[in-house]
Amino acid sequence: MTIQHAAPAAAHLRNVNKFYGPFQALTNVTLDIPPGKVTCLIGPSGSGKSTLLRCINVLELYDSGEVRIDDQLIGYESPGGKHMAPRRLREMRREIGMVFQQFNLWPHMTALQNVAEGLERVRGLTRAQALTRAREALAKVGLADKENNHPSHLSGGQQQRVAIARAIAMEPRIMLFDEPTSALDPELVGEVLGVMKQLAAEGMTMVVVTHEMGFAAHVADRVVFMERGEIVATGSPREVFDAPSDPRLASFLQGYRERNSLDF
Amino acid sequence: MMETLHRYGPDLLTGFGLTLLSWALGTLLGLVLGFVIEIARRFGHNLLGYPIRAYVEFIRGTPFLVQLFVLYYGGPLIGLRLDALPAGILGLTIYGSAYFTEILRAGFDAVPLGQIEAARAIGFRNTTIVSRIMVPVMMVSALPSLVNFAIILTKETVILSMITVPEIMFQTQTMMSETFAFVTPILILALFFWGFVETISRFGRRLERRFTHYLLDRS
Repeated sequence: MTIQHAAPAAAHLRNVNKFYGPFQALTNVTLDIPPGKVTCLIGPSGSGKSTLLRCINVLELYDSGEVRIDDQLIGYESPGGKHMAPRRLREMRREIGMVFQQFNLWPHMTALQNVAEGLERVRGLTRAQALTRAREALAKVGLADKENNHPSHLSGGQQQRVAIARAIAMEPRIMLFDEPTSALDPELVGEVLGVMKQLAAEGMTMVVVTHEMGFAAHVADRVVFMERGEIVATGSPREVFDAPSDPRLASFLQGYRERNSLDF
Repeated sequence: MMETLHRYGPDLLTGFGLTLLSWALGTLLGLVLGFVIEIARRFGHNLLGYPIRAYVEFIRGTPFLVQLFVLYYGGPLIGLRLDALPAGILGLTIYGSAYFTEILRAGFDAVPLGQIEAARAIGFRNTTIVSRIMVPVMMVSALPSLVNFAIILTKETVILSMITVPEIMFQTQTMMSETFAFVTPILILALFFWGFVETISRFGRRLERRFTHYLLDRS
């Protein structure tokens, strides 16, 4: 038994709105996430990137509009209808892997248990099968030798790789990354991005909220720029980074380049 | 003195036994009830919050002795006729549940939301999230308080003597009033509780080590 790649899924957002009280976090967001491609979401903090990502697996429930995984609506039973039954939602979430900024590993479990837990409890594998597959997932992110370490005995980069292993072991059809390298020391960023590049090369559908413009420029198939809860610009990395058409995008990129210029 | 002990020994042993029994059942059932209340508050309908809060505030706001009297002497007025021992155990259960539920609430609140979201994102059901993630993570911070309150409850059991449960306090008082000896019975009582509490806190420390083993450096 090896980790299979389930057929990559697409995601479609149509006129999605999300409010926190009077504050509108997402305004009429319409976006198609193509299967098997890497879509990077960039933009200033507070622009709604993470909210958009979290609406895809309904960690945040959007208020209006539609979010679909392939053709299946998620979050509501029908457009504008009742909230989705918890059981249906759990079934759909199995197909969607997520990696968080703060890793969110379970501290009382070893790396191996962190990966095996979902296989056993959600996928219904036997303990032995779950451990076998969890070991494969850990090997894939280069951590076969750390399976007995608890998260507190792993570096940030290692923890994030365990978190990626935990997600891919479930054989998701789409993977969401919420600023996966933002909490890492700079020298540990590379090992996480490396694993992500490998996943991208294998044809996983990936949606990545990131401040790593280098990653977006080199790995993304499409880059989406957001500001104030709206999608301002989308395009290939070349279109977005080399010839930004929108003035807000241009100023965001200029600010980024100034902060990251190497003259010090 | 040996004669007195010989005469009252069996009664004292019965008293010890009843004290241990009412403490063990009261604590265990109180913890279970407190857990159920907390789960209902956390996952149940929002409107459940008000009666639960009223319950907790009432129990925490009144003396245990008063609650016990209401239950034992007031109970029959609403058709709740209990013998002294069951009434005492039920009283301890109710009293304990209000405090346990608050300790558990604080413990659950301290579980980082991200760890729960990670479980949700994978597709765990709520019962699994509670049993596999929230309880073990929460125990690190809540266990000392839970053990502490279990220790407080050992000493609340003496109040059961007021509704004629023949536990250790009741037996000691009987012995005192019949023999007019005060020092020996009170000393026996004090030593008993000291040993009792010491045992619980040792057990508690062992439990703590079990729930926090992953925080210790073993690399």
